Amino acid sequence: MGEEQHIAGPEEARWILSTLERDQLVKEKAAPVPRRQLGAGELFVLWALRVYVVFMMAVVFWQAWTATR
Amino acid sequence: MSHSLRAKAWLLWLLIGPGILVMLGENDGPSMLSYAATGAKFGIGFFLPFVALTFAMALVVQEMTVRLGAATHRGHAELIFERFGPFWGWFSMIDLGIGNFLTLITEFIAVRAGLGFFGVPAWAAILIALGILYSALMSHRYWTWERVTLAAAAFNLIFIPVALMTHPHWGAVGHAFVTWKPLPHLTQDTVLIVLSNIGATVTPWMLFFQQSATVDKGLTTKDIRFGRIDTLLGALLAAAAALGTIVATAPLFAHQMNAASFEAAQFAQALEPVIGRWGAALFALGMVEAGVVASITISTSSAYAFGEVARKPHSLNLPVNQGKSFYAVLGLCAAAAAGIVLIPGLPLVFVVLVVNVVAVLAMPPALVFLYLLVNDKQIMGEVESPRMANFVAGAVVVVLTAAGVLYGLSVVAPQALAWLASR
Repeated sequence: MGEEQHIAGPEEARWILSTLERDQLVKEKAAPVPRRQLGAGELFVLWALRVYVVFMMAVVFWQAWTATR
Repeated sequence: MSHSLRAKAWLLWLLIGPGILVMLGENDGPSMLSYAATGAKFGIGFFLPFVALTFAMALVVQEMTVRLGAATHRGHAELIFERFGPFWGWFSMIDLGIGNFLTLITEFIAVRAGLGFFGVPAWAAILIALGILYSALMSHRYWTWERVTLAAAAFNLIFIPVALMTHPHWGAVGHAFVTWKPLPHLTQDTVLIVLSNIGATVTPWMLFFQQSATVDKGLTTKDIRFGRIDTLLGALLAAAAALGTIVATAPLFAHQMNAASFEAAQFAQALEPVIGRWGAALFALGMVEAGVVASITISTSSAYAFGEVARKPHSLNLPVNQGKSFYAVLGLCAAAAAGIVLIPGLPLVFVVLVVNVVAVLAMPPALVFLYLLVNDKQIMGEVESPRMANFVAGAVVVVLTAAGVLYGLSVVAPQALAWLASR
């Protein structure tokens, strides 16, 4: 007890770091990712794709419905 | 083998998993049925290099999720919520939720059809699939779950020996890869198969799953190289199995089999005169494996995403009492999908037809979020996307959207498609 501990070398340092890796990940995750505002162009693309998805889904279900009847 | 080489091989063995799982997991029931229908309907030709190309697209996209997971230590759903807010987060979640649930149903359809070949009743087939899924979770260790699922996924390669049993015409295979010919006629069926084959390799759940699994495995930016090798290995193995399936069912093209029904057991039965009872049995077992492995990975993907957005504990390392909502979502999604398959008179073919197409349609918005995130210097730091990867990702979005529009055109205005075909 009370005896000073030394890290023997880079191998041991790496081992200690890798042992603590889980805790480091938890610590990094605790910091929130800041919110980013989407630009006008990005919003346009996202809304255009949203309309595309909704319209195409309707087409798919209509086709599948008529095909199975 | 030198000490350092052995150490590297050991490290690779430890770090592989999410990439192989996601790629072989995507070789699921509807995907294998889609490849089988492709071989039976079009034989050896355009679709061989085309399917190889779709795996190249999947590789580029999935590599991005490895970097995202390793750099941010967050799952895909969690990251969209935190970075762009709940409005867009919920949109992504709704796409994922609908797609995952429909796909899960088709996995159980594949298991039911595959085991049906051996005379197993539908209820027993579903119970077997659920039993395997729940057994994989019993260890409550990501590592054990991953290794058990990997071992099951390796069975996907069964389609390669089945293909060899058909004694394929290697000259025709080589010719197809070099020339992309013979080209199919541009009809509504061809467009549906094109979309179905794209949806068989590039789907939203893969983004959510691989990023979450990368985080759950604890990969850091130092491990990205191994994550890339893992994803490449997965893409190569899955592409080999997919191409094997097309080659395996190509003899049915010569006999002009009608592949419209997309039923796994029928493919196996139709192949029996060509590859014998054993070969047909292997084909049916391959379908069962495809359904079982994908039901495990897709239900896990749903549970990860739910935990991320609901801010509940979400890890395969959790004991049940600490991860109640995670295991509940996983188990209930699978049980509900399995139950639906047992409803008498349900149009199962309807669901199978729709699933891959839905996946393709939902992919462009998911890819735009992925593109925005991997190019976000603030969260990616040194591992933000290189220009080449961005170019390819942009091309994938354009190709997927164009394929969707072509499909819509073929349904809404078939005469326009006929006009295009005549040009």
